[in-house]
Amino acid sequence: MKNKRLFLSQNLGLLLWVLTFVFGFTGVSDAATIAGKILFEGAAPAPETIKMGADPKCQLAHPNGLASDDVVVNSNGTLKNVFIYVKDGLAGKTFDAPKEAVVFDQKGCQYSPKIFGIQVGQPLEILNSDDTLHNVHSLSANSQQFNLGMPIKGMKLKKTFTKPEVMVKIKCEVHPWMHAYAGVLDHPFYSVSADDGTFALKNLPPGNYVIEAWHEKYGAQTQNVIVGSDADTKDIQFQYKG
Amino acid sequence: MVSTFLLIVAGGLVTSTGSGLSVPDWPLSYGQMFPPMIGGIRFEHTHRLIAGFVGCLTLILAISLYLEEKRIWVKWLGLTALLAVVAQAVLGGLTVIYLLPTTISILHACLAQTFFSLLAALCLFTSQEWKNDAVYPCQNASSIQRLFVTTTIFIYLQLIAGAIVRHTKGGGLYYHLTLAALIAMHLIFILVKIAKENKIRDKFLTPVIFLLSLLILQILLGAGVFVLPLSRILVTTAHQVNGALILASAVVLSLRSFRSLRTEIPRASL
Repeated sequence: MKNKRLFLSQNLGLLLWVLTFVFGFTGVSDAATIAGKILFEGAAPAPETIKMGADPKCQLAHPNGLASDDVVVNSNGTLKNVFIYVKDGLAGKTFDAPKEAVVFDQKGCQYSPKIFGIQVGQPLEILNSDDTLHNVHSLSANSQQFNLGMPIKGMKLKKTFTKPEVMVKIKCEVHPWMHAYAGVLDHPFYSVSADDGTFALKNLPPGNYVIEAWHEKYGAQTQNVIVGSDADTKDIQFQYKG
Repeated sequence: MVSTFLLIVAGGLVTSTGSGLSVPDWPLSYGQMFPPMIGGIRFEHTHRLIAGFVGCLTLILAISLYLEEKRIWVKWLGLTALLAVVAQAVLGGLTVIYLLPTTISILHACLAQTFFSLLAALCLFTSQEWKNDAVYPCQNASSIQRLFVTTTIFIYLQLIAGAIVRHTKGGGLYYHLTLAALIAMHLIFILVKIAKENKIRDKFLTPVIFLLSLLILQILLGAGVFVLPLSRILVTTAHQVNGALILASAVVLSLRSFRSLRTEIPRASL
């Protein structure tokens, strides 16, 4: 009886050790992160005032006018709305498209979000939250373009992109100041620089990557980054000049 | 003619303001006859309304010519005008449905001005001047007629080149500029020849000077597209509309030259 208990406890211990090793090793193998900031050097350009007289409802939504958000320099000297993604280094790897939709809204006669990422095959849910008529025209070169009228508040439409493309311009053909950009990728490793200029590409498998940062006015820059396993975190910076 | 001229202005504004896709459906606009006139819809839908009006007028014209005109070829021209306006409507619909394909957009632009010239020709054919069949002798009738035809052909090629420049964002600009120079040269030749002909000077000099003035204006407007970026919408639209006037004027002058000019045989050879 005593020998039986000893046998069981030894094997249980061995089993627990093996399980810890296997799951522990697996748990950290794709947990690398590339994070950083988008710096901006120089004077921020004076934002243009958007004239919304073409639609009284848009003008009503912005009685004091609306500044163009093509270039947004944050108070800490960083640049917002830069799209950062893994451009190269994932060859041979496949990633399922999420079933959860990316919500793309038309509110206050502006697109929200202005810059976003989406995976090939992932649903794009286009919403009209305005009490005015919009239409959404995707200027994609690789996927089928769409030009959809959305005349009713609360109206929702769903679309998907079928091929990767950086970047797809989306514009409203009724309100010429409205435009946004979608980074369509076949993987989930992308980010958009926030109000503090930071970004993060999480859960990367170990590898040698080319990371690209894209801004609609200042263009694209790339950097080579190598990440290993074991929760490796690399900090990088991109700098744009005004 | 006036309504068609306004239609060409409206169409030019649609392209110049980038409003071609502001109404994503056709023939209705957002499923309605009268959508809210906001943003780019103001230009696109106004263009469609004027087009509908021109279509109705053309139908009335074709029917009137069929019922009242004795010359069969004029009846056929009336029918041609009607078919042209229907084709133009279809092309317009295709540009919307297929999201401004370049070839169809260029065809739509060219057919618009061809239709305008056809109406100008119909005005001439049904005018008293044409029916009077007055003949004016001149020594260089054949030469002048050939020059008019060649100039008109160059102007038509220029229309196509201009449409390509407009709808490909600058493609073929070299050909457009070369043709402008050729047209200018030919008009100057015509002006010189007509100025030397005493018997036709009164009849043809003023219209040719008018055509040359339109050409000078066209060159200035063309330069203005690059020099006046802030007024680009108005300048490019005016350039396009003026092009239509130039083509129609050249077509009318060519037809008049064949109708009324005859080679004068010198007295010494009789």
